[in-house]
Amino acid sequence: MISTTETETPGFSQKIPLYEGSTQFRHWRYSPEQLARTRSAMNAAAVQAIKDAFEADLPGSSSDVSFLSADEEILLVKLYAGKVSQLCGHFRFPEEVEATAVTYLKRFYLKNTVMDYHPKNVMLTALFIATKTTNHPISLEAYANHIPKTLPSDVLDLEFLVAQSLGFDFAVWHAHRALWGIWLDIQNLPDIRMDELRQAYDVALKHVRASRLTDAELIYTPSQIALACLSLASPSLAAAWARSQHNSRSPTPPSPPTPMPPSESAVLDIIEPIASMITTSGVLPDVEAVREVDRRLRLCKNPEKVVGSNAHKRKQEEKEHKAAEKRARKAERIRKAMEDGDPFGTSLHEQDLDDDDDDDED
Amino acid sequence: MDAVEKANAATQKKWAKDAKIGEGMYAVVYKGREVAAGRPVAIKKIKVGQFKDGLDMSAIREVKYLRELKHPNIIELLDVFSSKTNLNLVLEFLDTDLELVIRDRSLVFLPADIKAWIAMTFRGLEFCHRNWILHRDLKPNNLLISADGQLKLADFGLARDFADPGYKMTCQVITRWYRPPELFFGCRYYSTAVDIWSVGCIFAELMLRTPYLPGESDLDQLKTTFRALGTPTEEEWPGHTKLPDYISVGQFPRTPLRDLFTAATADCLNLLSKCFTYDPKKRISAKDALNHPYFFALPYPSHPSKLPKPAKKSSPLEEMDGNVDLSGPGPTVKANPPNKLKRKLSSGEGDTRSIARKLDFTQKSPE
Repeated sequence: MISTTETETPGFSQKIPLYEGSTQFRHWRYSPEQLARTRSAMNAAAVQAIKDAFEADLPGSSSDVSFLSADEEILLVKLYAGKVSQLCGHFRFPEEVEATAVTYLKRFYLKNTVMDYHPKNVMLTALFIATKTTNHPISLEAYANHIPKTLPSDVLDLEFLVAQSLGFDFAVWHAHRALWGIWLDIQNLPDIRMDELRQAYDVALKHVRASRLTDAELIYTPSQIALACLSLASPSLAAAWARSQHNSRSPTPPSPPTPMPPSESAVLDIIEPIASMITTSGVLPDVEAVREVDRRLRLCKNPEKVVGSNAHKRKQEEKEHKAAEKRARKAERIRKAMEDGDPFGTSLHEQDLDDDDDDDED
Repeated sequence: MDAVEKANAATQKKWAKDAKIGEGMYAVVYKGREVAAGRPVAIKKIKVGQFKDGLDMSAIREVKYLRELKHPNIIELLDVFSSKTNLNLVLEFLDTDLELVIRDRSLVFLPADIKAWIAMTFRGLEFCHRNWILHRDLKPNNLLISADGQLKLADFGLARDFADPGYKMTCQVITRWYRPPELFFGCRYYSTAVDIWSVGCIFAELMLRTPYLPGESDLDQLKTTFRALGTPTEEEWPGHTKLPDYISVGQFPRTPLRDLFTAATADCLNLLSKCFTYDPKKRISAKDALNHPYFFALPYPSHPSKLPKPAKKSSPLEEMDGNVDLSGPGPTVKANPPNKLKRKLSSGEGDTRSIARKLDFTQKSPE
């Protein structure tokens, strides 16, 4: 599973493992420290911006607001990652959809803060996008109808924002697929008792699902997580598989030489911290604690995002004004062109074909 | 705040649209350029506002797969950004496509040229398959050709990951003339073999300079196929009569490929026949095709830069090519039919080689 298949990405010249060509490896891999830094920096920036918005609205109004910390944000996101599972059960979506939606939700909050966008909305959009990207599409109407107090527009309004936040990286490699691969591999090993393996697989799959509530997928590869989960279910089977991977490589180096897979003990060392991460943080947060966070969120969310607030109105007016200016500029350009006797303007390069060209005006 | 929207706006500013080069129901294609470096690009603007279910599946597929696939024989997706209700895909700009090359009667193909195009097709396809992706719409006008002659797989709007065993896939994929018989028989569990059949059809078309199996309807497609390649027997394709939509269209004898492809080498016909193996399980894989003796036998594939390209069309309104209907009462925007959206422009460089080519049989090309 720790694949060394060669590929020709991204410089077209060097050979790298297939997984390393994926957007998941290239864009969504962090060290635990990087994760913490990313989140606290984003949290700090959000708090500052919201304070500014409060102050602009009513000077002095931000002083006694208790903003959320980065850890509190995570807590809330985690709760809604759990809700994704519930919804998927309700819709009977395949595991692929669920896992993908949870990944989208987590990635979204590496680029956004819950104080701007509440996870209960983002979760719905992330799941809806996941049904499409995993090729299990459902009509928006059917989707929204089955979720209480949800309009199609609630789902669609955030679609671009979520897609942008994901950097349009829709493909996700999942630990449950890696686990399936290991399950298939292990059956070929000698002296494997199928009933024992089946039982271990089922337990390991539960751990994989628990791992979705952790940062594991943002730090480790799917195969590392899968093996960690198997080791939690059956250390001996995990060790047997790791050994078989190491031994299966031919002793004569192929050309070009691929690196030998790490030894059994090296592999097991890597998965140790993953296993402990899953057992310690792979549980849903205490509802009371989250409720408290959510209560405070109501007071500290970004007023610019709250429809009807002064700050929101101001922001909308600003946008309107900009758009009107752009339209006026365009009208002027056309008028000038008419005067010059050429309704199609002077040259193509001067007519900037940005997204205000006519064909997409509603 | 709103770092994401800022990043999107920054991306948008990196690219400029210069001229509309194609329009369909749901998308407009522009020729554009990278503002900083000036390199030409094609910008495909998908009007998402028109879809009631938001981002549509073909846009999602195209973005999903092209974000992952970076290969010299696959079109490069340089950037994606959204604007208002539109999704914009910034793609590398490619001059022409294989359909235009095949149709240009002034071009003469050498066997080495055909070998080069097919090798590049298989290379791109093998990379897709290695990444667990089925293209599901291979045909000459989805094989685009760059200024330096590289052939690139494009249009991933119907692509998908291999389904897990037990998951059904739709058989309503691949343009009819390039669609394998198993899909007409309603096969819902299929794999990479469907793309290989398409490559076989393209391979044959390169030799014939006309579509090899041009069925007029789905039923006629089966007849056309079996007339050309013989009706499959239970022995060569076990179980095919049990497929959900199996229909008997009559018994046709197998005629040797040699009868039609008179000038082809034995290696060439051997590879072609392996692309047309009826049993999908026995059809050759892209990887095995690349290792086929055909590619190692003389003549070696032409260097991409030496491949025939359609000559430059002379037009007083070059920059508006494809956009302006010169025959009409005035310059009007021509709406291309949907699915005809291709980033096509006539080649920018004058191609003198297409004439010289005809005399060039013995000369060994450099490199």
